[in-house]
Amino acid sequence: MTPTCQELAPLLSLRAAGALDGEEAARVESHLATCAGCRAEAEQAEAALDLARLPPFGPAERRAAGELPERALAAFRRADARRGRMRRALAGFAVAAAAALALLAPALLRKPVHAPAAEQASLTWQSPDPDTLWSETDVLALDGSSDATDSSTLSTESTAVATADGF
Amino acid sequence: MIEDEGEGRPSLRVVTGGTARPRAGLEDEAAVAAFLVGDDEAFGELVRRHQGLVIAIVRRYARTAEDARDLAQRTFLRAFEAARRTLRRGGGAVPFKSWLVRIAVNLAKNHLRDESRFARAPLEAIEAEHASAPDGPERLERAERQRRVRQEVLRLPRRQREVLTLRVDAELPFADIALALGITENAAKVSFHHAVTRLRAGIEEDPS
Repeated sequence: MTPTCQELAPLLSLRAAGALDGEEAARVESHLATCAGCRAEAEQAEAALDLARLPPFGPAERRAAGELPERALAAFRRADARRGRMRRALAGFAVAAAAALALLAPALLRKPVHAPAAEQASLTWQSPDPDTLWSETDVLALDGSSDATDSSTLSTESTAVATADGF
Repeated sequence: MIEDEGEGRPSLRVVTGGTARPRAGLEDEAAVAAFLVGDDEAFGELVRRHQGLVIAIVRRYARTAEDARDLAQRTFLRAFEAARRTLRRGGGAVPFKSWLVRIAVNLAKNHLRDESRFARAPLEAIEAEHASAPDGPERLERAERQRRVRQEVLRLPRRQREVLTLRVDAELPFADIALALGITENAAKVSFHHAVTRLRAGIEEDPS
């Protein structure tokens, strides 16, 4: 293969796809007339594309294509309607949220009032009685009767028991 | 020029620059604008104008004719959506055909990925529809070689596959292929050559 042959190799692929014209096409044809190696290359490229090419549309494909304009328009309208419903729902939600905020705003913005002393006292930490705590919790029950206890409760109570026992 | 002949719909009359045969791009853009103000005929006209191109791009990746039609439908819907967004934002070019090509290529790529994930083979529709009783060993052998080369096309690197199929299936000029894929025309031609080289290598390695 000469340097000219190597240089022309990409053009042979384009020629096989019918994508050469003008000066390039004339140059390639002129070379092919004198180079058997490149003629073989050109034939192989054409054969490869010929095998890769799909057949013309069959009846089922033509039928499906014929339905496309109507189906596509209906789908576009459906999508529009869906988006419209979504927009209205979001607008309704926004209005409801705004109304709720307007109602709650005074309460949320009110200055906090100090709690009475007794109430304050009840909020301070009081050490639990280990025995009471033990009896009041069923975290260690083995009879499976405490199936209502969820994992978060279990974890909290286990911690409390462990702390009370001095671990 | 597009005229709405339907009754009860908004009517639109678009005059495109006063030329007898306006450029296709302008025609598309005018038709998109007409549809978006209520001219359903313009939608149908655009779909009919480009459905051959879109189906040609996606059919290689589809399992059935209906599968190809659905991919084409999604392509059109996305293109119309993109056009509507662009026009609502106050203008900008709407290269509808170029968008269709790009969207079809991307949907086809995703479809191929999904089909591979579910171990389903594309091209089944085409092969089934065109299958006929083999009337000789030569035809049988050729059909088998076609099947292998078409499978090989789907295994090409993405860019090579896109360029090859846009040229071979959709018969687009390389300038249009480059525009749709966002690459230079020269890069498109180089990718095409690499794709052909790979296909040829596959054929030469094929023992049959």
